[in-house]
Amino acid sequence: MQTTLTKAAARAINATKIYGSAETAVRALDEVSVGFPQGQFTAIMGPSGSGKSTLMHCLAGLDQVSSGEVFLGDVELGSLSDTELTLLRREQVGFIFQSFNLLPTLSAAENISLPLLLAGKRPDRDWLDTVIAEVRLGDRLAHKPSELSGGQQQRVAVARALVTRPQIIFADEPTGNLDSRSSAELLGFLRRAVTSFGQTIVMVTHDPGAAAAADSVLFLSDGRIVGELREPTAEAILDRLKAIGE
Amino acid sequence: MLTVTFKGLWAHKRRLVGMLMAVVLGVGFLAGALALGDTLSSNFDKLFASANAGTDAVVRSATTVGTGVGAQRPAVDVSLAATIRAVPGVAAAEPSITGFGEIIGSDGAAIGGNGPPRLASYWLPDPVLNPYKLAQGRAPATPDEIVVNRGAATAGKLRLGQTVTVLMPTPVRVRIVGIATFAGTDGLGTATLAAFNLAGAERNILGITGDAAQASSIVVRAQPGVSQAELTSRIQRVLPANVDALTGVAATQQAVSDVSGTFLTALRTVLVVFAGIALLVATLSIANTFAILVAQRSRESALLRALGGTRRQLLGSVVVEALCIGALASGLGLLAGLGIAGLLKGLFDSFGFALPAGGLVVSGTSIVVSVLAGMVVTLGAGLLPALRASRIPPLAAFRGAAAEPARPSLLHAIVGGVLASGGVALVVAGIQAPTSQVLSVVGIGALLTTVGVVALGPVVAKFVTGFIGRPLAAWRGTPGLLARGNAMRSPRRSAAAATALMVGVAIVTLFTVYAASLKTASDNGVKGSFNGDIAITSGGFGPGTLSPELATAIGGLPGVRTATGISAGEALIAGKAQQVSSVDPVHIGAVLDLHPAAGSIAALSDSQIAVSQHEASNRGWQLGTALPATMPDGARMQLSIGAIYTSRDLTGDYVVPLALWGAHNRQGVNSAVFVKLAPGTDLAAAKAAVTTASTPYGQPTVNDRAAFIAAAGQGVNLVLGIVYVLLALAILIAVLGIANTLSLAIHERTREVGLLRAVGQTRRQLRSMIRLESVILSVFSVVGGLTLGTFLGWGLSQATNVAQGFATFTLPVTRIALILVLGALAGILAAVRPARRAARMPVLTAVATE
Ligand SMILES: Nc1ncnc2c1ncn2[C@@H]1O[C@H](COP(=O)(O)OP(=O)(O)O)[C@@H](O)[C@H]1O
Ligand SMILES: [Mg+2]
Repeated sequence: MQTTLTKAAARAINATKIYGSAETAVRALDEVSVGFPQGQFTAIMGPSGSGKSTLMHCLAGLDQVSSGEVFLGDVELGSLSDTELTLLRREQVGFIFQSFNLLPTLSAAENISLPLLLAGKRPDRDWLDTVIAEVRLGDRLAHKPSELSGGQQQRVAVARALVTRPQIIFADEPTGNLDSRSSAELLGFLRRAVTSFGQTIVMVTHDPGAAAAADSVLFLSDGRIVGELREPTAEAILDRLKAIGE
Repeated sequence: MLTVTFKGLWAHKRRLVGMLMAVVLGVGFLAGALALGDTLSSNFDKLFASANAGTDAVVRSATTVGTGVGAQRPAVDVSLAATIRAVPGVAAAEPSITGFGEIIGSDGAAIGGNGPPRLASYWLPDPVLNPYKLAQGRAPATPDEIVVNRGAATAGKLRLGQTVTVLMPTPVRVRIVGIATFAGTDGLGTATLAAFNLAGAERNILGITGDAAQASSIVVRAQPGVSQAELTSRIQRVLPANVDALTGVAATQQAVSDVSGTFLTALRTVLVVFAGIALLVATLSIANTFAILVAQRSRESALLRALGGTRRQLLGSVVVEALCIGALASGLGLLAGLGIAGLLKGLFDSFGFALPAGGLVVSGTSIVVSVLAGMVVTLGAGLLPALRASRIPPLAAFRGAAAEPARPSLLHAIVGGVLASGGVALVVAGIQAPTSQVLSVVGIGALLTTVGVVALGPVVAKFVTGFIGRPLAAWRGTPGLLARGNAMRSPRRSAAAATALMVGVAIVTLFTVYAASLKTASDNGVKGSFNGDIAITSGGFGPGTLSPELATAIGGLPGVRTATGISAGEALIAGKAQQVSSVDPVHIGAVLDLHPAAGSIAALSDSQIAVSQHEASNRGWQLGTALPATMPDGARMQLSIGAIYTSRDLTGDYVVPLALWGAHNRQGVNSAVFVKLAPGTDLAAAKAAVTTASTPYGQPTVNDRAAFIAAAGQGVNLVLGIVYVLLALAILIAVLGIANTLSLAIHERTREVGLLRAVGQTRRQLRSMIRLESVILSVFSVVGGLTLGTFLGWGLSQATNVAQGFATFTLPVTRIALILVLGALAGILAAVRPARRAARMPVLTAVATE
């Protein structure tokens, strides 16, 4: 049934999300249909309140659409129970939030393996080593989050997202709280995960420079997809954003 | 500023519920205890007032023998009634004759079991003097007719005209000719009454008729127009020496103050002590809640400071908050107290201490005391966190720093260590102190130890919770690992959360260990001194109710070599009211070895007394020392010590020969009959024969040696049972405290919960994590409490052994293990609500919370 060549890691069909009811109702997503191809790095941009986070939460099984369908791989999320959704997130989805990504009581190493620990699975040693080497955390593994810098904390979050080899990773403004050097480093890690491991990544960002690291950029406005840019450059993105009126 | 305070209170109302509950329960217990005291005192007042309503004067002996409710007085001559009748102004004068009489119900069992008093009396023919009124039938006209109270008739399914057995305690067959009420109710509380005519009362209660008969007192009614005072002074003139007349009003007051002065005061004290324990635990628990709330609001507080709020205003704000909570909780607690008073009464009733019924009464003092206690407790708990809040620098608002130091300071550790080790040293040393000081020294040591251990809690919390959490983490996987991390993250808070339960468990353990130690001592003592094969006991409290005929009847059974009774009573010896046992010196040796250290029980003459070694050495007495004694009938004499014995578990400190005791007591009753069988007699068959023979005597308990030894310590377990129930509320408050701490912690960790859920923690795992954290905290408390309580129990039993000569330290292993398991279960229970709420939090709100 898939018409595109590459299979979609996640897709939404006529997804609508309405918050509140009657007069106070907010249409955070308005009939959004979109697919995120496997092995691709997609950035989502748009003005504040345009529904970027909402789209991501619905795709990740953290929230449910009001109408329409959402698929993760071949699984339709609407029919799943809370436990099934949780297990799906644990095994198929990786998360990187803007802040507060780590549990303060766990060491960096434990935070990285957290999804595996929750699943009661032994980590694949080789893969774990690869991931840790990739984000260059080797000497910080025993530290608690409070002993790590912001950049290091986000790197731990990247490693955690990668460790289960999920179907897709969602990153909501992962560089939002970082300085430019740490940001560039983090984007490098994400880029390499896509290029070297074929990881699918969807990233919300406000920074055209960051979005330029992606394979394509989706533009959202008032809960609707208003455009797409392939092989983006920072300048092209800026132009497009001006056109939307941010 | 006040507006801000109230808005804040309202906004956090959910979080305050737990705190409110703790105070409500604590105040409720106190109010309930006080209300029960008020109610009983008012009921006793009414009871005595109605009992004495028609009495204008009471004539009785001026001396008392013994102490306690209705302290025994020597008797007065029945014939004195006739003398008094001749005094001008006297309308009626009757001897008041009361004693023991147990009515056997239609089912063959004694009515009322062993609980309420079972009274027999002379049915006063004067309807004004007699507090009982006939509801059916007529007054007894012959010695074998009786009136019973309506309550007894109902309970025993007795009808008018029915012939019943009354144990006086020797069984007599009598016919019920009347059924009476007392002040419109079924009876005097739950007491049963069998009332005879004068001849019947003399024969069955006094055992003597005619001129030698003696009554407890003479009650007098005045002719109209003669005042009580006038009547009394006229009567006094005709009375012999050592006999007093007092007005009816004074007699009522004295009866009331006898009860309030002894029984009620003791009951009140016990209940208030346990209410105090509950309030202490509540204070510890809400102090922690306040600390957490204030810490959680540190940003808010700092913002207020930055905006120009003074430290004073901030302090005032928390104080007002505490006062509001205290006032609300105390008000609710007062209401709860009314319910708790009813429960407490039920508790005592169910353990066999029947208390008079009647509507609930609460005095103004009780209300003020309860409310004040609630306010003081809440304010006290809130003060330290309030001071801390007021010290938050305005800059903290922008840094978002926690106002709560997570780790205790070195000074804290040192002070705690010094207090705890000083306390322990004092307890250990106190045991060697001179007898008279042992209890106080050990008591102070115990207090210091407790304070020290509480202070050390935060110092050891990280290590101990980590230690407890390790096996849980291994067993329950990731939720266990996370729970362990959470329990260890703020040692100060974990320890504070655990303190309330720890203190509660320590007190439970202290009582458990102490009771076990008393029981061991009793078991060993009974085992070492009881040589008989069968024991017959009347059970219940107070002096016995067995007829002396019973021993004779059993002595005649085939295979029985010796059957001898032992009875108990009170006499004044060397100036103090003492419990005295009386035995037959010739036969007692066959069943009871008191292990004489000097002299011989068997050779005890009628002018001699045997005293325990413990008492003799405490008072500095020796063999041959002459002790002044006043017998229950008022006879004074000198008794010389004829034997000093060491086994005092079955007889107490004083033993007199039966012949001496019997000569100075009215109704002879035995508390137990001990039986020795001839060698080769089949025990089971003999026991069956003894049971059959004793059935007509009110179906007393018949035990073989092993069962008797086991039952001897049952009294201790009964009291322990009551103590457990009284402590249950404190434990409940402590467990609520843990639940409250958890709820607050989870509220604080909303984002963590969201993150965990996002990366794949199922609801079940989340609940398990919270439950395990709760288990770690409660096991931490329970282990601390068990250790502390065992040590204090050891100290107390050693001290008791030195001071009182009984208690052998015993560690009740099963019970201790049970407390540990129950503690862990309590942890699981405490987590139910917080876990459910955490699991219900939508993942997204958690993730999105900034
Ligand atoms: N839980 C919520 N309740 C009500 N409205 C919400 C909620 N979450 C988001 N919204 C609204 O939905 C719209 C889209 O929000 P969001 O997806 O967070 O935007 P973005 O991430 O693009 O800034 C906004 O108008 C926001 O106010
Ligand atoms: Mg957003």
